Amino acid sequence: MKSSRREFLKVTGLSTSAVALSEWSFGREAEAAKFAAIETSKDDLADVALALAKKLGATYTDIRINRYRVESISTRERQVQSVARGSNFGFGVRVLVKGTWGFAASPNVTRAEVERATREAVEIARANSTIQRRPVRLAPAPKVIAKWKSQFERDPFEVPVDDKIGFLLKLNEAALGVKGVSFVNSSMAWVNEQKYLATSDGSRIEQYLIRGYPTFTVTAIDRATNDFQTRNSIAEGSSAGYEYTEKYDWFAEAKQAGEEAVGKLKAKSIEPGKYDLILHPSHLYLTIHESVGHSTELDRALLWEANYAGTSFLTPDKTGKLQFGSKIVNFVADRTQPAGLATVAYDDEGVAGQRWHLVRDGVFVDWQTTRDLAPLIGKNKSYGCLHADSWGSVPFPRMPNVSLEPAKENVTTDDLIGGVEKGIMIFGRGSYSIDQQRYNFQFGGQTFWEIKNGKIVGMLRDVAYQSRTTDFWNACDGLGDKSTYLLPGTFNDGKGEPGQSNAVSHGCPSARFRQIDVLNTAADSSRS
Amino acid sequence: MLLTEKDARDLTGKLLSFVKADDASVSVTNEQTSHLRFADNNVLTSGKRESRAASVTLWMKGRRGAASTNDFDDASLRAAVEQAEQIARLAPVDREYLPTLGKQTYKPVGGYVEATANISPATRARQIGDILTACEKAKVIGAGFHQAVARAAAFATKNGNFGFEPSTVVSLSTTARTPDGTSSGYFGRNHFDVAKLDTARIAREAIDKTLQGRNARTLEAKSYTVILEPQAVADLLGNFAFGFDARSAEEGRSPYSASGGKTRTGEKLFDERINLYSDASNAELPASPSAQAGIPSQKIYLIKNGVLENLIYSRFWAKQKGTEPTPGPVNAILETTGKPTSVEEMISSTKRGLLVSRFWYIRSTDPRTASLTGLTRDGVWLIEDGKIQYPVKNFRFNQSIINMLAPGNVEMIGAAERVGNAENASLLPALKLKAFNFTSQSEAV
Repeated sequence: MKSSRREFLKVTGLSTSAVALSEWSFGREAEAAKFAAIETSKDDLADVALALAKKLGATYTDIRINRYRVESISTRERQVQSVARGSNFGFGVRVLVKGTWGFAASPNVTRAEVERATREAVEIARANSTIQRRPVRLAPAPKVIAKWKSQFERDPFEVPVDDKIGFLLKLNEAALGVKGVSFVNSSMAWVNEQKYLATSDGSRIEQYLIRGYPTFTVTAIDRATNDFQTRNSIAEGSSAGYEYTEKYDWFAEAKQAGEEAVGKLKAKSIEPGKYDLILHPSHLYLTIHESVGHSTELDRALLWEANYAGTSFLTPDKTGKLQFGSKIVNFVADRTQPAGLATVAYDDEGVAGQRWHLVRDGVFVDWQTTRDLAPLIGKNKSYGCLHADSWGSVPFPRMPNVSLEPAKENVTTDDLIGGVEKGIMIFGRGSYSIDQQRYNFQFGGQTFWEIKNGKIVGMLRDVAYQSRTTDFWNACDGLGDKSTYLLPGTFNDGKGEPGQSNAVSHGCPSARFRQIDVLNTAADSSRS
Repeated sequence: MLLTEKDARDLTGKLLSFVKADDASVSVTNEQTSHLRFADNNVLTSGKRESRAASVTLWMKGRRGAASTNDFDDASLRAAVEQAEQIARLAPVDREYLPTLGKQTYKPVGGYVEATANISPATRARQIGDILTACEKAKVIGAGFHQAVARAAAFATKNGNFGFEPSTVVSLSTTARTPDGTSSGYFGRNHFDVAKLDTARIAREAIDKTLQGRNARTLEAKSYTVILEPQAVADLLGNFAFGFDARSAEEGRSPYSASGGKTRTGEKLFDERINLYSDASNAELPASPSAQAGIPSQKIYLIKNGVLENLIYSRFWAKQKGTEPTPGPVNAILETTGKPTSVEEMISSTKRGLLVSRFWYIRSTDPRTASLTGLTRDGVWLIEDGKIQYPVKNFRFNQSIINMLAPGNVEMIGAAERVGNAENASLLPALKLKAFNFTSQSEAV
């Protein structure tokens, strides 16, 4: 079906916010005119690809025509190191021929190139169909005509560069004001995705996303002892506009980071052993990402990632049976969560964003799926997890926001600490490593605090903990309530071959884990 | 059709013609990438894409701005330059600015092979089809990734420099697993010349490792003598050569920092047989003829006879310190000064130790000592009395790589070979190390 832009608005009854999308323009940028001209023909280009692929034998086709804008600014101490803006535009055509995928992509967004690429995608699929053992089957997806934008208040691409530089230099100054701080590196990255999808099911979907990631590292050096310690920001990326720099007190955190970097130089090195852990959301989100987010990806369980990212200790026969965690543990996959970096209205094959349980009352109950994965476990509906990081990348299964639900009763972080005789509280993401089946992991952090008899008594250093995913989540005996809940996220979750990067968030409250193995990361370090 | 040198000259010239700023450095890249991914003994995804980018960095009265675009028409290129100039007007003075280089002379390295750039879908399908058949015959489940990249990169400066660097790389990696999921083997190689990528060998090695890894036993996690196959060395040391930054060492935040703002240059930190160097003209590992900021790359030693020979000075830091900027590294070659030892000789000389084929998910745990954590993957075997006895389950390790290569810990060094991942490679040897710290067991396969 061919739909004009006006028809989109009519069919979907779009809200005023959607109409006010600034028409996918680039403000005062010189590219605006060019892209506006392309926009009027996106549907026509899609029609070319869909009709030609069908004529050449494709049973399913989609075309994505996307523009990505990025801006990054980096500074150190009192100087700006770089300010850069980039724009990247192109299209990718994916076809299913004889049950085999083919894909071709190009930055030349013209009718002739769409035709050439469509033929190339079909040629690739046909060549590979000769060695295909089992044809791909797709779960159905309803036709969708829609337009959506992510939640943001201030478009960061409309904020003057000198405001951003001023923000970072002020942040650096807050850290440098702390006696003993030697260096500060800070940066911010902003991304705008403008995505168009047309499928041979008749769907035509436009989405406009904004996300931001300010971050910094403070370094304190003791030249007398030839020692140094760093403290990275514990606030993470978010699906938000420039207001993200204003709604969180970055300057207070930078000052605190300075004090903590200096404090780490004198902090007590951890004595290895078993400890109770209280994990702050700024740390716990990455543990969730690695141990829960990746282990519940069905493509991993079905060996699709065996050559690179790995498989999963979870297998389809464990669905509904495996005690993944203690009874208070509930993990929800959610592409609708406000401010979530993986939040979208529709995935890259036109399936609506959804919310569903992966772990309910501690039991592993469900998977992350796409249209070609769902039928392989007897499902006729995808959960909408297909995503590509560029017009030039083949879309494949990617993680939604996977979040740990907070306690329903009132529980503060202090309440959790109060129940610990000998323990450690950890803030921020540090070194992280997990095996290829998402079982054995080791995580560090940014700051570590010794807990004795229900109270934080001082700072620790050189801390990392090792555990197995199911042992760890079954050792969870306390969750904070929603007042402790945060939604941190990362821009750079790598997976797939060729490698792709995904942005994703993981909401969680503060949480307590009993008797976890802690090691000293400096134990193998002899530094003269 | 990949950008030719003439195309690149025209494009960089056009970008520079739009620049009003005092100084500028521009670059254009064009890549054609094709791949086939297979898994579960079946084709997964396959495709071809073209990508390109034009970038400009410029300085107006010492203020720096940068922008990039992948639209190559005149209006878009001009817009990118204007955007960089707009940014430069708003930016503070770049205190690290140094004028861009004038005309330099670069020696061609020969890392581009037309046949690599032009692999057809039919040829690739035939090669992967053979691997699927081999896996089926061996009753293992195969997965893997075949990719070919053809790249043209060019740069130019307002002061008259220009460089054009075409390159190709084709890679294949294969993982084979037993149907019961108790054993997994991996092998991968890449090359700039498709004629030198032995796809049948890659599949055979992966399948053999899988079959030899069946019935793995659990061993205690502790320090062991290890023999690391070249792939395992690449996983640990693939980025090692790029961590010798002089500035961070002199700022006191590097494993090569010494007290009082000094560095450990000149100290014998490593086994005296170890040489680590960069050489763009190596026939097996051709690399960029240009190093940082377009300085013609030269053979440079980072470690020579076990001594920390050179740290890497950027142009800015070299000027601050009154020294010359370092013309590299652009690749990494680790060789022994002695006679290389084969893996078989390493095994036969081992009273008790582990043979490790690969590492996974390696992360820094302590930058002061270049300490890393990670896990073994796809094959570990116990050696006793000079013979492989049986496969063992995986381990997590925590290990300083400085200590690992220190005098007294390196027992034997193999012949360097080209090894890495889909797009990057180094020339690295197998290593026999007296002690390597495993800290927990991992039942993952």
